[in-house]
Amino acid sequence: MGRRGEFKTPGGKLIAVEFDVANGELRGVVVTGDFFLYPEEALPLLTGALEGSPATLDEAGYATRIRTALEAGGELVGSSPEALAAAVVRALRAPVSPERTDD
Amino acid sequence: MNMALDEVLVERVGSGERPPTLRVWGWSAPCVVLGRFQSVRNEVNEDAAARHGVEIVRRISGGGAMFIEPRGAITWSLYAPMSMTAGMTFAESYRFFDAWVVDALRELGIDAWYAPLNDITSAAGKIGGAAQARRGGAVLHHTTMAYDMNVPLMLEILRIGKEKMSDKGVTSADKRVAPLRQQTELPREVILQHMIEQFRQRFGIQEDSLVPSELAEAEKRAREKFGARDWTHYLP
Repeated sequence: MGRRGEFKTPGGKLIAVEFDVANGELRGVVVTGDFFLYPEEALPLLTGALEGSPATLDEAGYATRIRTALEAGGELVGSSPEALAAAVVRALRAPVSPERTDD
Repeated sequence: MNMALDEVLVERVGSGERPPTLRVWGWSAPCVVLGRFQSVRNEVNEDAAARHGVEIVRRISGGGAMFIEPRGAITWSLYAPMSMTAGMTFAESYRFFDAWVVDALRELGIDAWYAPLNDITSAAGKIGGAAQARRGGAVLHHTTMAYDMNVPLMLEILRIGKEKMSDKGVTSADKRVAPLRQQTELPREVILQHMIEQFRQRFGIQEDSLVPSELAEAEKRAREKFGARDWTHYLP
């Protein structure tokens, strides 16, 4: 994966996101971490909220997408939409790993 | 097999085929247990694990990675109907399901307490942690406490990332682990006996055993799901 970002909620858990940027969009999004999510099967709600979204949003923009997606039936415990959004922004700002380049 | 049993038994309690159950269990070989949502390569040095014969398994509940050795931990699972947590937040339910353990430890002279979200801790450091999965009207709440720990080996096997170690100067979720052996001379079995006695006094207990269909189903899932790379490495 080209990009990676992490965010640990103070007093809470770590959430991490990896993705590539292709045509100005987030692609191949993977979300991992030691948070809790109920139900566990709701993980695709998190990745689905980010997959295909523009790489130009701000933290609040990503957080809103994630929060809206979770309303369909998921609850993050130990982390939050804001934490995941912060991880996305960190990933976008971090240097790209040398073996991958963006379109 | 233990991961599979946890999944099977929480389903059976949810369907009403089994009453609320406490299962105390152990490990026959050293193991890394990953949380449901963790990435293997971020948490484990797979080469070191292979070299030391440490198996990697993934549980159905979220939370963090643990390195466990057969006589080094005290592990158990609680399977309870969701109704037991009615009106509680997740945080409250974590505390609720391990309150009896904290009391048992304190009775043994260990100054332990519960720290949100999911830690059994002490002044010397973190003793153990819990994870929960909820499905079919039941809660699986399983907990591990460190009794003794081979720290150099753990540090070889588990990756402990920079982000986990610090966040704006606040000490991380990866707190110092303080195995019980550092705080008491009591053997592991004595601690376990006392815990079970505490549970009996608080909730009542009847001896029980796994029924053949539960064992058979767990064996099947241990083979087909939990032992498969598709599961353990679905988040590589």
